[in-house]
Amino acid sequence: MTLTMPAGAPAGALLGLAAEPSPRDLAQTLSEPGWLVEDRMAAAALARELPVEANQLFTSYVDLRPVRFGEIAAYAQVGEAREISSVMPEGAAALLEVRDGALVARGLSRDAAAKGVIVDTFAHVLRRDPELLRRLIEGGATLPTDDRFAQIARAAYEIGVLVYVPDGVAVNGPIVLRWAQGRPGRALITRTVVALGRDAHASVLEEQVAVGGIPEGGSQALWMGTMEVVLDRGATLDVAGEEDFASHTVSFVNRHATLGESAALTWALAMVGGAYVKSRIDNVLVGRGAGVHQAEIAFGGGEQRFDLTSYTRHRGPDTTGDLLSKGVFQEASRGFFKGLIRIERAARGADSYLGEFSMLLTKKARSVAIPSLEIDQPDVRRASHSSSVGPIDEGQIFYLMSRGISRDLASKFIVLGFLEPVVARIPLPAAQERLRQLLDRKWIPGQ
Amino acid sequence: MTVTPEVVSNDRSKYDFKDEIVYLAETKRGLSRETVEEISRFKGEPDWMLQFRLRAYEHFLRRPLPRWGGDLSRIDFDKIVYYRKPSEREEKSWDDVPEQIKQTFEKLGIPEAERKFLAGVGAQYDSEVVYHSVREELSKLGVVFMGTDQALLEYPEIFRRYFGTVVPPEDNKFAALNSAVWSGGSFVYVPKGVEVPLPLQAYFRINGENTGQFERTLIVVDEGARVHYIEGCTAPIYATDSLHAAVVEVIALPRSKVRYTTIQNWSNDVYNLVTKRAHAYENATVEWIDANTGSQLSMKYPAIYLRGRGATADIISVAVAGKGQHQDTGAKAIHLAPDTRSRIVSKSVSKDGGRATYRGTLKVAPGATNAVASVRCDALMLDDQSRSDTYPYIDIQEDDTTMTHEATVGKISQDQVFYLMSRGLTENEAQNLIVQGFLEVFTKELPMEYAIEFNRLVRLEMDNAIG
Repeated sequence: MTLTMPAGAPAGALLGLAAEPSPRDLAQTLSEPGWLVEDRMAAAALARELPVEANQLFTSYVDLRPVRFGEIAAYAQVGEAREISSVMPEGAAALLEVRDGALVARGLSRDAAAKGVIVDTFAHVLRRDPELLRRLIEGGATLPTDDRFAQIARAAYEIGVLVYVPDGVAVNGPIVLRWAQGRPGRALITRTVVALGRDAHASVLEEQVAVGGIPEGGSQALWMGTMEVVLDRGATLDVAGEEDFASHTVSFVNRHATLGESAALTWALAMVGGAYVKSRIDNVLVGRGAGVHQAEIAFGGGEQRFDLTSYTRHRGPDTTGDLLSKGVFQEASRGFFKGLIRIERAARGADSYLGEFSMLLTKKARSVAIPSLEIDQPDVRRASHSSSVGPIDEGQIFYLMSRGISRDLASKFIVLGFLEPVVARIPLPAAQERLRQLLDRKWIPGQ
Repeated sequence: MTVTPEVVSNDRSKYDFKDEIVYLAETKRGLSRETVEEISRFKGEPDWMLQFRLRAYEHFLRRPLPRWGGDLSRIDFDKIVYYRKPSEREEKSWDDVPEQIKQTFEKLGIPEAERKFLAGVGAQYDSEVVYHSVREELSKLGVVFMGTDQALLEYPEIFRRYFGTVVPPEDNKFAALNSAVWSGGSFVYVPKGVEVPLPLQAYFRINGENTGQFERTLIVVDEGARVHYIEGCTAPIYATDSLHAAVVEVIALPRSKVRYTTIQNWSNDVYNLVTKRAHAYENATVEWIDANTGSQLSMKYPAIYLRGRGATADIISVAVAGKGQHQDTGAKAIHLAPDTRSRIVSKSVSKDGGRATYRGTLKVAPGATNAVASVRCDALMLDDQSRSDTYPYIDIQEDDTTMTHEATVGKISQDQVFYLMSRGLTENEAQNLIVQGFLEVFTKELPMEYAIEFNRLVRLEMDNAIG
């Protein structure tokens, strides 16, 4: 579908792109129902009020200078490619791939389809079951109301993806969502909602990759999106993410999860590519006994910037948060790790930990850690954080060198071992192997 | 391991007294350019200081209130008396101090403290140093320990060389306010190679309703010298808000060692907004030993800038936040030179709806190679009406830095309480003992007398809590 697009950024543009459709035009082009238009407008109004960083703790550590919005334009066409493949990766339960702004592949296993699982675009779900989508996303669903970029995604997404697993259904094999993005000068804004019913189980692998065959350079490319997770009582979800955009691509991602009673969520996220990655993850532990385990790694080189924020909010009693962020920074790359554990008064018996650990491999690399705690309930099993920054441990290097391994190879082994906790959690063997190779190639010898 | 009953008193009124003092001179309420000029004229200051004050005043007007930290909206700058002078001249000996003021110090226990081991006393009564004695041998060593106002007139060269160089007026709104209206505080100069054998001590007090206290302390420790400075505070309780905005500047020249100890127990209506900063040069060591009890809001982050190779920073910060109190305190270590080390240890206790916040910065700047740093924050919450926050900022820009940080928040272990109660202690005594043990890292750094007094303060706070 072709978008109505004013020449240049209109007044009130949310991002200030070179060409940016208004949320209303976008909704009309996509023939969306009235409630969805209103939802977009409400989000746009909210986004216009919000600063880039609403949390006073972190305001001095936000730097959008590496992002050149003014040289990126929205796609003039959104929607579906002429041919949509339904071939899925070996062992996967579903695949949905958006390449260069258009849906190019969609597949769902016979088993999953029979159980009522949905993995589809908002546009399709609106035709088949509009009330389901309305129930899940109206009012902004779970997106943080204090985050400008989350609200921009809600207002201006071009493609929405829904993963829905009904009560009691366990999906066999991972659901693969693939975003191939990176045509110079183009932006894609997306929303992904993952909703699991009572006692349901699924695993999701989200791949953010460069578009093949397009030369890098020139203008930047932008990917902005969400993953909004809602887990009903007893639901369990494993999410793995691999980000390897090309070096001219900037990305903004908001992941937000709300967990009901005894629900369990794991995140295993690897960020390797892109010029600039801004990530915020919110885990809201509402039901008694809900738990989240999160591991994320960033492996930087060149002038890369990784701006990573994690919020863990304990609302219900006996909830568990276990978060680990690790970064390795080569050349002039930088990492900003911001975290906040909030334990509310009702959350007796909470167990919460946040670890932020970095290795700096060169003089020009830099790491900032702000792991904070706000505690209203002292009756906790644990409320703590720790962080460290340092070079590669000389003792470990010596140990490996004494076994006949060169210094450079020893350093590389130690770094890859440091990042392994996330690699080991990637569900598909092929995807896991690809990430290993990606990290291996990222290593710059002789630093 | 017992609570020494002879030093434990439940009578908080010991600290809640107020004397009727006739002030010999004071400015009108509120702050204006004229007030600033009037203060400078009262003091007969050189013109450069007047210009400094006016520059600070201009900045104070322009600078907005900080939007982070505690609630500052209830400070009414127009209600504050910015300067008052209780007696005309600085007293040379204890006998010359007015009787009424003496009685105040009597209640605070100063004379005993002095008899025992004071090296010198600088006692601040409202906005002026009224009593100051330096032991003979310190004078012989060339150590200067006097009121800051007096030092401006008697040691103009060294004063002007260092004053305002560590904390410029433009640093923050309250540093600007202090720079505009400062009065009193201590000036210390320790010459090259001199080791001051005993701690230098100054007691501070706020008296007079709505009196702001804006003392200014400047400590210059020359190459290879050593000194330990102790500041301790108690203040009477008043109904309306009171503001304490001090600035402390410490210059630790190469190979010197400075320890600065603070025990504070402001009354629960005081806003305690203090800028404390030290510059540590080559192979110098600076230690801040800082305790915060009392006040309704403290915002205080003692900082050490490690400017010379091999300099060391050591900061121990403890805070106790009770009913209606917010202790927003912490520490800053800024590594600017190679081979520097820093250690920050923070302990906080919150209870009765109080809020204890650790807010700190650790920064390793480019060029500060081979830095070693650690930050440790522990918080104890005594009930679920209270709140504990930890906001450490860690910014590392050198690849060979070794930095570790840990923070934990928890409550008193019921197992420990049970164990102590099975040994015959009441629950109250058991909790008190556990809190004192939690704060031991601080207490053990104090001279014995202060350790006893500090434990007594904690005991008083605890009794209010658990009763």
